[in-house]
Amino acid sequence: MIKLTRIDDRLVHGQVSFTWVPSLGINCLIVANDKTACDDFQKMALTLARPPSAKLLILTIEESIAFLNDDKSKNAKILLIVNSINDAFTLSEKVTEIQSINFGGIRAREGTRLISRAIAVSDADISLIKQMADKGIELEIRQVPNDKKQLIQNLL
Amino acid sequence: MLVAYLLISLIVIFGHLEDFFGAALLSRPLVLGPLVGLVLGDITQGVIIGATLELIFMGNIKIGAAIPPDVITGGVLGTAFAIISGKGPAIALAIAVPVSIMAEMVISGLFVLRPMLNSRFNRFAEMAEFKKIEKLHVASGLLKPLLMGLLAFLALQLGAGVIKSFLDTIPPWVQSGLQVAGNMLPAVGFALLMNLMFNQKVAAYFFLGFILASYLKLPMIAIGGLGLIVALIITGITHKDPSPDEMNFDDIPSEPEAETKPIISKNDLRKVFLRSLALEANFNFETWQNTGFAFSILPVLKRLYTTKESMSKALKRHLQFFNTSPHGSTLILGITAAMEEQNLQKEGFDEESINSVKLGLMGPLAGVFDSLFWGTLKVIAAGVGISLAINGNILGPILFVLIFNIPHLLIRYNLTFIGYKAGNRFLQNLAKSNIMDKLTTGASILGLMVIGAMPAMLMPITTPIIIGTSESQVAVQTILDQLVPNMIPLALTFLVYFFVKKNIKTTWLLLGILALGFTGSIVHVFA
Repeated sequence: MIKLTRIDDRLVHGQVSFTWVPSLGINCLIVANDKTACDDFQKMALTLARPPSAKLLILTIEESIAFLNDDKSKNAKILLIVNSINDAFTLSEKVTEIQSINFGGIRAREGTRLISRAIAVSDADISLIKQMADKGIELEIRQVPNDKKQLIQNLL
Repeated sequence: MLVAYLLISLIVIFGHLEDFFGAALLSRPLVLGPLVGLVLGDITQGVIIGATLELIFMGNIKIGAAIPPDVITGGVLGTAFAIISGKGPAIALAIAVPVSIMAEMVISGLFVLRPMLNSRFNRFAEMAEFKKIEKLHVASGLLKPLLMGLLAFLALQLGAGVIKSFLDTIPPWVQSGLQVAGNMLPAVGFALLMNLMFNQKVAAYFFLGFILASYLKLPMIAIGGLGLIVALIITGITHKDPSPDEMNFDDIPSEPEAETKPIISKNDLRKVFLRSLALEANFNFETWQNTGFAFSILPVLKRLYTTKESMSKALKRHLQFFNTSPHGSTLILGITAAMEEQNLQKEGFDEESINSVKLGLMGPLAGVFDSLFWGTLKVIAAGVGISLAINGNILGPILFVLIFNIPHLLIRYNLTFIGYKAGNRFLQNLAKSNIMDKLTTGASILGLMVIGAMPAMLMPITTPIIIGTSESQVAVQTILDQLVPNMIPLALTFLVYFFVKKNIKTTWLLLGILALGFTGSIVHVFA
């Protein structure tokens, strides 16, 4: 079962292993990212950051879709992490279980603007956000679990 | 009083200078409280109030962009007013909580505004003017302490009279209500810390800590020592200490391709370590610790890049977004130093790889070092420090600082060199061995034992309820003590933990417990 789908461009770090994992009782952490899944150095770094109470899977987007749609994954309490709105969009298209997406941190890049403390979006991102919102997916900003949920639509 | 107010404002400034002192806990209430006491001529009260506030704000730590209430300004002003009015810790707390929440808003505002400096930083990088980058980083870093110092001074100068006369009108029943609420509030801190470490695998150690403190009445240092021994036995690392500073890296064969002569000197790396203490001076919500990273790595860049063009390129590279745990930042700085050196020496070195390694490591390593330093080391330091300081013992704050910073600075210093020399191999070895697992398990065992001891030792909450007829009266507390001593503090801690699990915001938890303690005292359920 997917307990949380999170967009965070730092992937697994303090906020994730320190607050989200204990607060949701996560026992399976999935990092869905094509580049990371083929990068041994990155994989090694993420392995270091894994909280002891959870399993860590580093998968490509395609592998993640297959895994999440498999019945075997239904027993695990999953925290799914991607590093871009684009990847979140792809996953939400193919995995119907994703009905809510948490925006944790997206740093400012060329052509983006900050819409919240830690969230920067581009025009392309905004169009994806609108498409997801239209489908009724909840899009909320929270860095840590006890932050107040802010709906992203209200900030655009 | 003017001199005292000025000195107290200086303490606020000193506290906020923590951004230059490497998050070394010098800004915690347990350290600043005694300083305020010193200024106002009552160190013992300062120590006791500092300990009380430390307990309440214990779970209050900065992870990522989640900015906690500003305990520096709140704590110092709370302590000052409590000592001036002679009303004790309860008043300190009544002032510290709202002030720290208001001060946090000011600081968040500053973090939102600081990105305006970024275009200036980038312009300096373009022109390779590293001295101006250094100056601006420091100047922006000084802004927060000076601003908060000024605000504190204004609050004291304008508000002291009003607040003092207001405090004088507080009736005794309100004060005793606040007293009880204050004794109850630490449950919030305990619960927040439990939340970091508590899971089925290690839950038992929490209760072990509780039993050692509640039944055997062991002091905190003994429980910490026992915790360390238990952690070593359970994780099976009795033969070799796994802390990075003690690991021996001399036997790691040096990389075969490292035939080029090293340009970076030991002294350069030492400077990097020292400068890393100011990593967060210009923390902002757009690029976070970026200028701190550039500031820290500059001794290396200065050594390597002598032309304007190469220096400008390097500066731009290191002004990109960065954010990691300050305590372990030197590992990434060391690795970066080694890569910059290779960049200079090797034809066709991929410059982009420097940033991708930096960005790839900062998140994961933040997770590792945050849990080690905030989750464990700080908890033990606070446990030992508070348990002494709560009785007015000045050794409390001193041990608090030493227990945290001796390992902190040793590890931080050595990581610079480990990063530079062994870099990726060090990380690969860590990832391959199960040492990280052992370390985190051991750390949470030790941390939980200390936290388990805390409700028993540091939360003097009892019930004055008496049952029975006038001939045979029985105090409920006596019955409870016979069942499980300190049962009420333990139950309250779990009650708050339950709400923490429900993701209730810390501010509401604080207010809720405050209300519970206050009304509980008025209706004579708690004392």
